[in-house]
Amino acid sequence: MVNATKGLFISCDVPMAQFIINMNASLPASQKFIIHILDDTHMFVQPHVAEMIRSGISDFRKQNSYEKPT
Amino acid sequence: MPQVKIIAKNFMDMVSSLPAMKLDKLYENAFICEAILRSLQPLAKKYVLQMLYIDTLVAAKLMEEWVLPDWFSKHRVALDRLLQLRIFTETVDRKKEKMYRINSTFQKNLQKLLVHGEVLPREPMPPNTVRLPSLEDLEAYALAQWEFFLLQLISSNQAERSSSISSAMLKVFKRGLLSQRDKEAPKLTESGFQFLLMDTNAQLWYIIREYISNSEERGVDSADLISFLLELSFHVTGEAYNLNTLNDVQRITIKDLADLGLVKLQQGRKESWFIPTKLVTNLSASLTDSSSRKQGFVVVETNFRMYAYSTSKLLCEILQQFASLEYQLPNLIVSAITKDSIYNAFEKGITADQIISFLQQNAHPRVALRIPSVPENVTDQIRLWESDRNRVEITPAHYYDEFPSREVFEAACDCAREWNGLLWEDSKKMRMVVKAEAHMHVREYLRRQK
Amino acid sequence: MGYGDKGRPNKRLKASAKFENIGEDVYFGEEADDDHRDGEGRQEKQDFSKLELKPDHSNRPLWACGDGRIFLETFSPLYKQAYDFLIAIAEPVCRPESMHEYNLTPHSLYAAVSVGLETETIISVLNKLSKTKLPQEMRDFIEKSTANYGKVKLVLKKNRYLVESPFPEVLNKLLRDEVIGRARITSEGANGRDGFTVSKVIGDIGGGGGHDELLNEAELAAAAEEKETHSFEIDPSQVENVKQRCLPNALNYPMLEEYDFRNDTVNPDLDMELKPQAQPRPYQEKSLSKMFGNGRARSGIIVLPCGAGKSLVGVSAASRIKKSCLCLATNAVSVDQWAFQFKLWSTIRDEQICRFTSDSKERFRGNAGVVVTTYNMVAFGGKRSEESEKIIEEIRNREWGLLLMDEVHVVPAHMFRKVISITKSHCKLGLTATLVREDERITDLNFLIGPKLYEANWLDLVKGGFIANVQCAEVWCPMTKEFFAEYLKKENSKKKQALYVMNPNKFRACEFLIRFHEQQRGDKIIVFADNLFALTEYAMKLRKPMIYGATSHVERTKILQAFKTSRDVNTVFLSKVGDNSIDIPEANVIIQISSHAGSRRQEAQRLGRILRAKGRLQDRMAGGKEEYNAFFYSLVSTDTQEMYYSTKRQQFLIDQGYSFKVITSLPPSDTGADLSYHRLEDQLALLGKVLSAGDDAVGLEQLEEDADDIALHKARYSMKSMSAMSGANGMVYMEYSTGHKGQMKSKPKDPTKRHHLFKKRFG
Repeated sequence: MVNATKGLFISCDVPMAQFIINMNASLPASQKFIIHILDDTHMFVQPHVAEMIRSGISDFRKQNSYEKPT
Repeated sequence: MPQVKIIAKNFMDMVSSLPAMKLDKLYENAFICEAILRSLQPLAKKYVLQMLYIDTLVAAKLMEEWVLPDWFSKHRVALDRLLQLRIFTETVDRKKEKMYRINSTFQKNLQKLLVHGEVLPREPMPPNTVRLPSLEDLEAYALAQWEFFLLQLISSNQAERSSSISSAMLKVFKRGLLSQRDKEAPKLTESGFQFLLMDTNAQLWYIIREYISNSEERGVDSADLISFLLELSFHVTGEAYNLNTLNDVQRITIKDLADLGLVKLQQGRKESWFIPTKLVTNLSASLTDSSSRKQGFVVVETNFRMYAYSTSKLLCEILQQFASLEYQLPNLIVSAITKDSIYNAFEKGITADQIISFLQQNAHPRVALRIPSVPENVTDQIRLWESDRNRVEITPAHYYDEFPSREVFEAACDCAREWNGLLWEDSKKMRMVVKAEAHMHVREYLRRQK
Repeated sequence: MGYGDKGRPNKRLKASAKFENIGEDVYFGEEADDDHRDGEGRQEKQDFSKLELKPDHSNRPLWACGDGRIFLETFSPLYKQAYDFLIAIAEPVCRPESMHEYNLTPHSLYAAVSVGLETETIISVLNKLSKTKLPQEMRDFIEKSTANYGKVKLVLKKNRYLVESPFPEVLNKLLRDEVIGRARITSEGANGRDGFTVSKVIGDIGGGGGHDELLNEAELAAAAEEKETHSFEIDPSQVENVKQRCLPNALNYPMLEEYDFRNDTVNPDLDMELKPQAQPRPYQEKSLSKMFGNGRARSGIIVLPCGAGKSLVGVSAASRIKKSCLCLATNAVSVDQWAFQFKLWSTIRDEQICRFTSDSKERFRGNAGVVVTTYNMVAFGGKRSEESEKIIEEIRNREWGLLLMDEVHVVPAHMFRKVISITKSHCKLGLTATLVREDERITDLNFLIGPKLYEANWLDLVKGGFIANVQCAEVWCPMTKEFFAEYLKKENSKKKQALYVMNPNKFRACEFLIRFHEQQRGDKIIVFADNLFALTEYAMKLRKPMIYGATSHVERTKILQAFKTSRDVNTVFLSKVGDNSIDIPEANVIIQISSHAGSRRQEAQRLGRILRAKGRLQDRMAGGKEEYNAFFYSLVSTDTQEMYYSTKRQQFLIDQGYSFKVITSLPPSDTGADLSYHRLEDQLALLGKVLSAGDDAVGLEQLEEDADDIALHKARYSMKSMSAMSGANGMVYMEYSTGHKGQMKSKPKDPTKRHHLFKKRFG
């Protein structure tokens, strides 16, 4: 029987994929959200984690950017 | 004699989109006929002139002989345009041959033109009866009016000065540019922001188009309106024209146009008149006319600081969309482009290209001749910030696996593809990801297969 | 930016001019963190739209705002004069091509007064140049800030220290202070009231020259007038105390120091002249005129970009003063260079100039001469050899006419103070390319040496063809999947730097650039890497010579010589030694593969390595064939902390008008297989190597610790005091001396734990 799982499809570049994988790895087992890593640039994750992923990426990005103080 | 100007492409598009009856009515105005003729492409022009004194139908096949085979495509383009404008009409004769005929109204008017020469529906008033403002003053007036109008559009809390633009009118314009939720102040929509960054001519066209589209609701015939606007665009900037040469509808229109800054209204002791400004004559400016482009005022430096030589409140509003304002001096606005300020702009729906073309189009003359007029590292960075935002795409979807056979798998893929929902597939392991919207259809399909 | 004055726009006007207390050793901790330096962010827009524009405003070059901010149009016909004036009275914030920004601060006004500009002159010239009527707040600010500056001068005349002022009432005020009162020596010949000696001094011509066109006749005449001054003498042993009492945190009459060298009959003359072929350039002349404006020699700092000819300025100053000169450099190689420059530009004879380093213990012959040495040699507090001891004694006892200090912003402040307290000098001239320090101790230097006398504009120098026009680029190298995965892991946090530096894509970009510049353009390339592990890996893999701390003197010379002359050696890899200790021959390409810790000064200094303008002037002008013939690449691994540091480092250069182009597509995709680490297995092998190397090995080279490094480390990780971090008194700055056996791989941080061989070396 064909199995269909509901979730979110993520398409991104290689570094971002690694970042999301790392994010997943650092969570306790009950909160891990990656269901399948499809390939280097795609993965399938639990629904409802979009916001968490986006804000995680946003924070990471902020850490790596220097803004000159005004 | 009015200047020979080409009608802007926008106007032509608008004309050609009018319904047949209205277009016919438009052609009752000889002046319009001439204007449209002048705006045609050379080949189309030639065809019109060739048909000018032919009253009968002409076979399409015959016309095809007017061009060399190599240029057939141009021939088709010209004919299509003429048909679109209803200058030519197409019929099929008894022998099932395609025939063309020139629009008789159009034809008559052009013939008259040839014989009598052209005449504007109205003459400027003699110079000694009116006190005309200088061209600079007029231009300043037009810009100030236009700016005020825009400010009215985009910031609802600056409505101290009562605008004589009817609130109904304003509402019409606001429709696409502002959105309002109950109890909240109206906010700019995505189109609204993009509108702000367009150059004046583009903005003008947007407003005029809306104005014309709404004319029927106001009880004004759109063809009449287009006709009138076209006429106006061929008047002379700075000359006074007596209001008594206008009919009632036109008088109301003139008032609206005055609110926008397209004309200036003045009153003498006995008479009143209107003076067209550059804004209205710009409606038919040729695309290569650079004198209509206003002077730029923005200097962007390699260190992401911006210096705008202007005092316009409107400009302040615009700059604040994507930059952080720091100083306001009597004739200079100093701001900084930062990651935060640009991201803010992106959140509002403004794109990097829009910001960059705004900066380029408004470059101060001193830097406008530099190549590039906006420092490359700044434009590159703005684009990089934009692409940075889009690095991760998240789509609600379903993951399918455990297909009983390859046939079923491939059929399911096809089904998903048909619904434009196949996001990813792995044929080796027979698994696929389908967009949430398409999931139902695929599921249905699979059910039916059993 | 830069000056450490924490004046906020509003605070600047309200507070009285309070300088930071240099007596304290308290480290400012959090505030030293560059990111939060400015405390309050400037969030609201400043509205000065009500200022009244003058009718001819388009002819005037600047706007002056009530909060001290000044904007200058560079395309104005009055730009040149306006620039000279503004740089004398205000701090530059940024100086790109079309519009400069400056800040008027109590500090910058102190500097203005120090070069002879008077309150009224400042206000009237500023008003003349301003598009709007000068705001009242600004007038008030200028008056208030300059109220007390420049009123008191400390002059060393005929071996006597005099406190001089045109205002006897100010002198009286000072004398009421206990310390100063006690320091006073009553002198014979006192012909004024209150026992003051009265004499006449020539006024400054338009504040150090150059503002003549901006002043009208009456103002010029007033400036040139002879002025009457009053003075009293103080005990030489009390000089520092008196100076301290005059500081803003005490009596608030900070003293200017000027040396009346022409009338110094006590100290022996040194007969040296500038050679005729030494033609100072306009900006060099300008800076000297600020120093010698009124016939005396003022103490202070001159700021010129790297490669613009600081040495000629130093040698010229010494040649004008014609008294013994003590020249301090940062390391032994620099000492050699200075000695060379002295002989190159002036008529000084060999026996009149000597070097004092751990390798050379020379002495000059005669009564007067030039000694070139390092800060370290003078400030060293440990035991010396007998010979060294003797030389130090002589240095201590001699009255130096000029104390010439190179690279003042590299040296830790407390080392400075030591040097200045040990030596007696009439005039102190500090030279530097950047006024940026990460530890904010700028004000200390201004007090220890003097205010800024002049600062040249980088872009103007480029336009004039005096320094090279450099194309700066940031090359973005995406991390490979495996490297990035490791980078993200928490357990690898200590290896983060190693991972982003050893990113195979970065390696390939570097290899590509080297190949391109060597083969297509025949350029000379220097590759900098702070990280020793990376340096070694890169250099060995690419088979290029490398120089780092432990490289012997002989080896260094060989490599550099080959680099200079051989057509086969076109690329050399340098560690941090390249920043200071090496005489870098001319190169025109720099590739940075590890940008460490966001040090803006280091970035500027490295750029300076290729700023020496080469080729004919015409070719270097816009449109000429050599218009851009110098290249500065910073290779950065994307999505890592390196991006943060890289942007931070660039700030200084960006403020000078440089811009970094971002290059994202190196190496081009079609060159893939030609470059190293093309295959995944090679990449993984490299990754393995990086991960298994010890944490120490993959860190920074522990060659020198300069104050910037410490400050930056501190800002991010801890809040200990500076001396606690270094673990030693006054020996944070270490000189690595070459030519000895026993090369060390890495040096321990704590100098007291050094190998016994090293202890001997400094003895």
